[in-house]
Amino acid sequence: MEAMNNPTTRFLPQCETVLPPDEAAVTQAVRRAAAEKRAVYPVGGATRLAYGPPSEVPGIALVTTALNRVIEHAADDMTITVEAGVTLTEVTRILALKRQRLPIDVPQPTRATIGGTIATNTFGPRRFGHRTVRDYLIGVRAVDGRGEVFAGGGRVVKNVAGYDMPRMLVGSMGTLGLITQVSLMVRPAAETAAMVAATLPDVHAAERLIARLMQSPTWPVSIDLLSSGWGYEDTGETVHDVEQVQLLAGFEGGWAEVRGDVDFLCQEWKNSSAHKVRVFDEADTPGMWQWMADLPAQLQAHVLPSRAVTLACRIAEIDPGCALLIHAGDGIVKVRLSDEAVSDLPSLLTTKLRPAAEELGGNLVVLVAEPAGVLKRDDVWGKSHNAGEVMHAVKGSFDPEGILNPGRWVF
Amino acid sequence: MAHAPIIADLRRNLGTAGVLYAPSDLAVYDCDAFTVARRAPDAVVFPATTEQVVAVVRTCRKHKAPIIARGAGTGLAGGATPLHGGVLVMLTRMNRVLEVSLPDRMACVEAGVPNIQLARRLAGTGYHFAPDPSSQGASTIGGNVATNAGGPHTLKYGVTVNHVLGLEAVLADGSVLTAGPVENPSMLPFQTILCGSEGTLGVVTKVWVRLTRNPESCRALRAVFPTVDNATATVSRMIAAGIIPAAMELMDRGILEAVEEAFHFGFPPDAGAVLIVEIDGPEAGLDETQRRIVEFCRGGSACEVLEAQSAEEREQLWKCRKLSVGAVGRLNNSYIIQDGVVPRTRLPHVLRRIADIAIKHRVRIVNVAHAGDGNVHPILLFDQRDREEVRRALAAGREVLGECIACGGSVTAEHGIGVEKIEFMEKLFGPSDLLAMRRLRDAFDPLGRMNPGKLIPA
Repeated sequence: MEAMNNPTTRFLPQCETVLPPDEAAVTQAVRRAAAEKRAVYPVGGATRLAYGPPSEVPGIALVTTALNRVIEHAADDMTITVEAGVTLTEVTRILALKRQRLPIDVPQPTRATIGGTIATNTFGPRRFGHRTVRDYLIGVRAVDGRGEVFAGGGRVVKNVAGYDMPRMLVGSMGTLGLITQVSLMVRPAAETAAMVAATLPDVHAAERLIARLMQSPTWPVSIDLLSSGWGYEDTGETVHDVEQVQLLAGFEGGWAEVRGDVDFLCQEWKNSSAHKVRVFDEADTPGMWQWMADLPAQLQAHVLPSRAVTLACRIAEIDPGCALLIHAGDGIVKVRLSDEAVSDLPSLLTTKLRPAAEELGGNLVVLVAEPAGVLKRDDVWGKSHNAGEVMHAVKGSFDPEGILNPGRWVF
Repeated sequence: MAHAPIIADLRRNLGTAGVLYAPSDLAVYDCDAFTVARRAPDAVVFPATTEQVVAVVRTCRKHKAPIIARGAGTGLAGGATPLHGGVLVMLTRMNRVLEVSLPDRMACVEAGVPNIQLARRLAGTGYHFAPDPSSQGASTIGGNVATNAGGPHTLKYGVTVNHVLGLEAVLADGSVLTAGPVENPSMLPFQTILCGSEGTLGVVTKVWVRLTRNPESCRALRAVFPTVDNATATVSRMIAAGIIPAAMELMDRGILEAVEEAFHFGFPPDAGAVLIVEIDGPEAGLDETQRRIVEFCRGGSACEVLEAQSAEEREQLWKCRKLSVGAVGRLNNSYIIQDGVVPRTRLPHVLRRIADIAIKHRVRIVNVAHAGDGNVHPILLFDQRDREEVRRALAAGREVLGECIACGGSVTAEHGIGVEKIEFMEKLFGPSDLLAMRRLRDAFDPLGRMNPGKLIPA
């Protein structure tokens, strides 16, 4: 039973697990695998193993969690260098000691590693204000598919010497190199945070408020639209009308500016069609961001921000039982499908869901390829770009034998 | 060369007005703003569309000719110098702003659109394109992408790569790659890989840029310090205290003298260094931030702190920074503006070392710096006619960059490697790091025709 619940066994083939204590051991493990033509599956905190279809190529699971040293927190330079297996919670804790932070929302931060966050380009609601880990990554060390170490970038916040190898690895799913160490620039801690939430009669009311919010004098770091069905009710609100939607705007910064923005927005939203407006204070707001980051969405679509609500409405027509979370400022729609839709998923993806995103100029990927084995590679990742040839050439340069995470991403 | 088959092919594709090949026409394209290395191209072409760029790339492929992309030619590292001859692709006719979508906070421009043209187009919309290199009056967005350009406001807003949502590029095989503007998790992030690639991975033809909302409010102040040390120590203390202004610019006595002589801003004659600090954001928090900055400056021995009281006064403060490099021309007939970067706490140290190096090599060096980023721009003055002086200036420049590496920094923060700094790549990176970069380049351009001789040593 435990084996069945363990995503390592469901998404990776029967694997030997290797837990290298340092970069040299990573190199050795990859070299050995390359010589034996076995696959290497990078595993961090194992929080996102269902992101990508299961692989059947035999190999080793290379678990990075023992690469957990903090190399240097140069607090006065506002940079930090850590090994890839350090968890986000640990990064947060160390930075907080010097009133600094890395403002990235990641699901299960106590387990999620910084290396995994970079390889999957994981983000959450504050992406609107703080963007993704890509904008903080200034240096990297990684091991390619030959078992050779390469470094790029450095420990300075501004650097254009050579190609941007660090950012090349963001979102590359461990297929070009196994990240062993990263340098990040960090931000000063925010003095305070708050969130304003409005319960609205329908999505069109929300769309109007979002448009006004984007033009308003306030500076939100997150703008999220939640349909019913996520259990937002459990956070203290009872939402009886299933048609209702919640619009949440989060703020971070100095006391005066956050208070100014919250007061302004409360006033504006109270004068709108909102049924109810409430404010989360600084004690509850970080929890709300984390709660949204942790929501179990199965699909993620990207479109231009102005088209996000339109796409969400189309998805709701295709699967009326779905739950939707829209990062409205970024054009990102996250979807939890109804059981009915899940039962018909491969065909629904191909014939309706993905075309809906593509017709609006966007794309759609599967975040959680459950049940394991039902969805194939193209079902999960789609084929919505023209870069296939050069991507394969890049892949061939870094991993000529194709041993890094085979079958899990587009390679 | 008119009879050369490649010229005939280029003229067939671009028309006679789209191709230059007479030696007298080519001479002016023998370098960009890095004037030390020169070589004229074999032809200069002026495509007006992506299709024409494709035709040029295919023609060059057929004739085995190098391809060098060029925007306004303001690059300071020789990135657009046709070191091995070949066809120089001028992108300045691709100068249309194709779309501005404020709800998406995005604009789509052709690569040859000057940075300032986009800025003007956005005036009054409440949004702007954040990268503001000193060359912004001339430099193109495509060039900004190719060098991953910065500017004073990168301290708060980031460099070009942070503001590129997507791009279109013609690759070495003549195919057209489109990445973005909508992020695609099933694709490598080409819009970031091509940023700063100096035309070695492809010719960027179109860019989707992120638009940044204009801040609600803005404050600027000028603090005069008795010594550079006082100023740099103040910068380090402010950053360490978590104050990240929009911009924090340093000018030392040498550059102040030039500025003062040229423009009479009224700096105290005994000023050792001046900091210009700009903060922006919601009005609500600015007074408090400004108060703290003034406190840091006074605590750092500033002998004068002047807070701009109006937009005009703020403009005036910036004017002395923006005119400073130009004013250097008054001091000497030639200069090299260097671009080094160190961890921010090492700024006081590196500026002290630069002063030592100037004495050692008997070269006059004056400094401007994006101080908040640890990015120094020492300006080495020399007389180009005096070969001995040129030699000493180059030696001093190399030593300054060596010091940046020794401090854990890098030899370029925003100007690029080009030809100027290619020798430093082996000091900055190990053999396996450079091999990985070469492999990336080979993946895009296996025949090595895109801007050969740049960015990474062969």
